[in-house]
Amino acid sequence: MINRILRFGLIFIILILLQVLLFNNIQFSGYVNPYIYILIVLLLPVEIPAYLLLMISFFTGLIMDLFMGTPGMHTAATVLAGFFRPYALRLISPRDGYEANSNPSMSVYGFKWFFIYTVVIVLVHHTALFYLEVFRFTDFLRTFLRVLLSSLFSITFILLIEYIRKAK
Amino acid sequence: MRNLLTFIAKYNNLIIFLILEGIAFSLLTSGNSYHNTRIVKGTRGLTRRIEQRASNARTYFRLREIGQTLATENTYLKNEIERLGRNETQFFSPLTDSVYQQQYIWSTAEVVNNSVNRQKNFFTLNKGVLQGLSVDMAVTSDRAIAGVIVGCSMNYSVVMSLLNLDFRLSSRIRSNGYFGSLSWDGIDISQAVLSEIPQHVTISVGDTVETTGYSAVFPEGIMVGTVSDFEKTGSDFYKITVLLKTDFKRLYYVNVIGNLQKAEQRELEKPYQ
Repeated sequence: MINRILRFGLIFIILILLQVLLFNNIQFSGYVNPYIYILIVLLLPVEIPAYLLLMISFFTGLIMDLFMGTPGMHTAATVLAGFFRPYALRLISPRDGYEANSNPSMSVYGFKWFFIYTVVIVLVHHTALFYLEVFRFTDFLRTFLRVLLSSLFSITFILLIEYIRKAK
Repeated sequence: MRNLLTFIAKYNNLIIFLILEGIAFSLLTSGNSYHNTRIVKGTRGLTRRIEQRASNARTYFRLREIGQTLATENTYLKNEIERLGRNETQFFSPLTDSVYQQQYIWSTAEVVNNSVNRQKNFFTLNKGVLQGLSVDMAVTSDRAIAGVIVGCSMNYSVVMSLLNLDFRLSSRIRSNGYFGSLSWDGIDISQAVLSEIPQHVTISVGDTVETTGYSAVFPEGIMVGTVSDFEKTGSDFYKITVLLKTDFKRLYYVNVIGNLQKAEQRELEKPYQ
């Protein structure tokens, strides 16, 4: 148990540093910014109590907000993603249910399952994030395009990171 | 009471969710202007150190480019000195007290955190109140405008970039002097839109767009960019696309300009607005 917490703490720190030092500096054409820190919410254990999940999402978002200087945006989006996660897990549960004490990662449930799971959560997170950022519905389609493009990149990078973790 | 407890027990997750979202939204609505978020101001010191390191690494890789920019700017300034020095050799120059003449005060700062890929972009400078910066000072890069300071802590300042949907700048076309309002439309980081120029004015592609001194923030005549395209809209005004001179992806060293007479101008204008 302690081991798992330490392991997760390590993942948490690594992902935040990756996001802040590397991915925040990737700026394709003004439309795309991958937000891979949402992987923190994705990787929490399946049976984690919902309040803990929400609290961790909240603090993850808050830390990102502090680094990016955007008050509340990332917090709101990440908490929303954390709130949706149990429903997403229920919706796409594997045929024989979830194993006890497992993380919802690619190495446990396979590529296809993890892919769908990631797409759902990332889309929820990015939609909330980008619409909160502009805070208006004019240019609805353009914001939507930004959501889709950024999600595409985020999902690709998250899958890559999971592949690397799996290979280890 | 019992019902209330069962209700809370049943929906506790939803309640926690709503509380946390409530906190996030209160930050979001109070904080976007950057003026009154104590939380942001107080805690940003923690993240600064990491940003400063990352910025050090980034600038190291761009030293050649930075050196070039500074060299060109130096040449420009030397020419300027030469020009002014010649003026002073006139015999009958009027005697004026220089204390009352200086209107703008210049300072330099380094950009330690920058973004261009959001709709509301801000960047951070490594100087703050202790170094003499304050809110509403203008920020220029390589003699073209970059933004305006919206928040200062002791050692850092946050600048609202021109690439921000909330940014408005009074600017004019140099060749004919007609002025309008410049803003970013959120699409392309190298272009902004100048509006409110009436349609009877002749414009051509390549015209220089510069600041007016009306806002008391920017000095007059600082370059914004050049006209790259214009079209007539349904109303009486042009929609002019301006190619920005500043490359916001490469902001490293910037100039900060404070207007020493801003308070005086604002105070005088106040009763009439």
